[in-house]
Amino acid sequence: MSLKKFSELFGDLDSINSTNNKIEVLKNYFLSNDPIDNSWAIYLLTGKSNKRFISGRYLKNIFSQIYEYPQWLIDTCYLKVGDSAEVITLLLKNKTNSRKKKLSNISLNELLSETIPALSKLNEEEKNLEIKNLWETLPEDNHLIFNKILTGTFRVGVSIGLITKSISKLINIEEEIISHRLMGDFKPSIDSYEFLINKNINLQELNSKPFPFLLANTIEDKIFKNSINDFQFEWKYDGIRMQLIKRSGNVSLWTRGQELVNESFPELVEKMSHIKDDFVLDGELLVWNFKEKIAFDFSLLQKRINIKSPTRSIQIKYPIIFIAYDLLEINGRDIREIKLENRRIELEKYFLKWQIKTENNISDIFKICDLIFPKDWPDALTYKEKSRENNTEGLIIKKKASIYSSGRKKGIWWKYKVDPMQLDAVLIYAKGGSGRRAGLYTDYSFALWKDKELIKFASAYSGLTNIEIKELDKWIRKNTIEKFGPVRSLKPEMVFEISFEKIQISKRHKSGIAVRFPRITKWRKDKKINDADSLENAYKLMKKIS
Amino acid sequence: MRTKQEYLIRYKDGNLYCELGDIWIDPSKPVKKALITHAHFDHFTFGCEEYISTNETAILLKERVGDNIKIKTFEYGEEFKINGINISFHPSGHILGSSQIRFIFAEEKWLISGDFKLQKDQTCKQYEIVKTDYLISECTFGLPIFKWDESNKIANDISKWITNSPEKTSLLFCYSLGKAQRLLNEISQTNFKGNIYSHGSIHKMNNSYRELGIDIKDTIKIENKKKIDELKGSLILLPPSLSKGSYLKNFKNIQTAFASGWMSIRALRKRSGYDKGFAISDHADWDGILEVVKKSEAKNVFFHHGDSEALSKYLVEKESINVLLFGK
Repeated sequence: MSLKKFSELFGDLDSINSTNNKIEVLKNYFLSNDPIDNSWAIYLLTGKSNKRFISGRYLKNIFSQIYEYPQWLIDTCYLKVGDSAEVITLLLKNKTNSRKKKLSNISLNELLSETIPALSKLNEEEKNLEIKNLWETLPEDNHLIFNKILTGTFRVGVSIGLITKSISKLINIEEEIISHRLMGDFKPSIDSYEFLINKNINLQELNSKPFPFLLANTIEDKIFKNSINDFQFEWKYDGIRMQLIKRSGNVSLWTRGQELVNESFPELVEKMSHIKDDFVLDGELLVWNFKEKIAFDFSLLQKRINIKSPTRSIQIKYPIIFIAYDLLEINGRDIREIKLENRRIELEKYFLKWQIKTENNISDIFKICDLIFPKDWPDALTYKEKSRENNTEGLIIKKKASIYSSGRKKGIWWKYKVDPMQLDAVLIYAKGGSGRRAGLYTDYSFALWKDKELIKFASAYSGLTNIEIKELDKWIRKNTIEKFGPVRSLKPEMVFEISFEKIQISKRHKSGIAVRFPRITKWRKDKKINDADSLENAYKLMKKIS
Repeated sequence: MRTKQEYLIRYKDGNLYCELGDIWIDPSKPVKKALITHAHFDHFTFGCEEYISTNETAILLKERVGDNIKIKTFEYGEEFKINGINISFHPSGHILGSSQIRFIFAEEKWLISGDFKLQKDQTCKQYEIVKTDYLISECTFGLPIFKWDESNKIANDISKWITNSPEKTSLLFCYSLGKAQRLLNEISQTNFKGNIYSHGSIHKMNNSYRELGIDIKDTIKIENKKKIDELKGSLILLPPSLSKGSYLKNFKNIQTAFASGWMSIRALRKRSGYDKGFAISDHADWDGILEVVKKSEAKNVFFHHGDSEALSKYLVEKESINVLLFGK
């Protein structure tokens, strides 16, 4: 079984949009390849290997050296393609055609377990020669995979969930079980693949399954007709929704996307395993500012979750907390049918017990959510408006008499989100995008007025539709004042509505302010640049909030 | 050095213009005298007093826009004179009837490449190397990342793409003039033996090609299909303009692909919204452009229709060829 087969799989997955077809293709791949290659395929497709053997820049450099190719030409090509591995792959088509060497039919296993690791033992000169040799002996349609693995940029539109689904289909076993098996340090080997497709399920695997999540609906006016006392109020945290399960001594962390994330948060798993009871908690995982007692930005959490097996220093740099807001099962007893207000009493009771009785201190990583007690609906609105101060997104309003059902069932949980802040700003710079957006100007900078001058205040790249992006790209090319490398300064003409979540003073920016999560919410073609907001308006917005 | 105004052919209002003969090449606005390199719509505009092209281009144009345009035609290689300038058409290999145009005046040769490719294409005449002093070349794909595969390899990929999904209807989007006929010609030589349908606009061009003596496989006009189930496992050729919007609702269980040189780049492929892209082009790739520049023996080269910066710099640095810029 060869690298060629895997290249074909990559090509197929890359060009199929339907999830069902992708699953089918994966299933067939697993059926027709060796267990060892299958285990490597899973390793690659699930992103467990992002090891960078050489950088994209280095790859471009050796290509330039070997084939005496001007560096600037490679860089120009990169602007169009947006991926070093792919640029070199395309350029190689021009170079390796006339080769006489016999093509190798290397297996995925051989490439990943021998050939590529061996590269790191060579000195620079030998390494370059070996890469040249591989380029010239690998079949052309394997170049992309090879370059991507070398540069640690192998990615394809396949989630771990999709792999889970296809293996689940392959052997007719529930996805949760496969998820559990895929957890942990998956080392590619015949054994690890055989374990994955084992049809016998052990008890521990059965025990780790989460309950279907109950989801909140966007608030509707009719709720304000009800008595405020019918509801429980909580802050709506901007974290990762999670069920924290401990059964027969084993802890599992499940996200709402049915992903098992124990590996990303080992300190939480460790601490929770000291609690004597078994339980299923529903709650939110956050990176927590212990000093201010509020959550850090979601962006930090995102960084954190992307690090598998984080080191101690990462754990200290991004301290996490699990905030539980519901108790669904306690010592094997499913209590989802009990009313929320009674589940809350149980939750508080057990939390108190765990705090006192658990030998290790758990409160530095685990707490239960505070409740809010508005007097009436206008008071609830005031709370909602204040939610930015503690870095929450608004309120969650839960019916006290409700049971924990599944899905987005109406009338049980409501989310009452705070509106974003908005300013109308003028587009002044554009920069080329990378990856899928390569060759288009998709990174924009926006400015506000200060007297007669436009001062940059935010950059944003999301919010436009593909059609708008293309239209704007055309406009940008026609209305460039100056080019500085990949950046173009533009004729001030276009006005956009920019929304953001937070605004604060910043000495680092010329405008004196920084905004969080800026994004484009409207292309204000109806507005002239003189209608755009001033910096003064931004300062006013800041005052209003603090 | 001459000033820009003194060149025999220069840029005026975004078009190629020869002042001495008051001749425009593929003008985008109505003029008195227009030389037309080929019958694609982005090289043609209504309302010119007189058009001059090859015979094939004239026939294709009339088929597309109607008979009431005045076209004078010449054979490939046949010289004609306008105000003392010797002019001739030469095959450019882009589509049927497409041409390069050579101007000779006072012993100075100018060559306008038109849209061209060097790759084999059984539906039109092979590109002819023409020597010149000045070359005005297109450079749509003027970067070395563009390197076309043999067209029979692409055709086999397309054939595999269709036959691997026998339950589906395969919609292949391509330009209705030129690309569609080339694809039909290539695909009919592959293992795919199922039905091929084509959209009315493509069907019409197929017939014109056939009348001009090109062997094109017979297709069924998609408008004549009887019931939707007969389309299962077959190939349908459609113009790209129909890929967006409600037209696709006419079909069920489809897979879509786009045949274009741009599809060689993954980001563009992903962004295009088609399931699959086949990188096949009727324009020259990087090597093709370089080959033409070198073999034409031109001492001075102008580029248009594309990003010419990198190509120009490369020719100046690596090949010591003088690349000039049009004052637009």
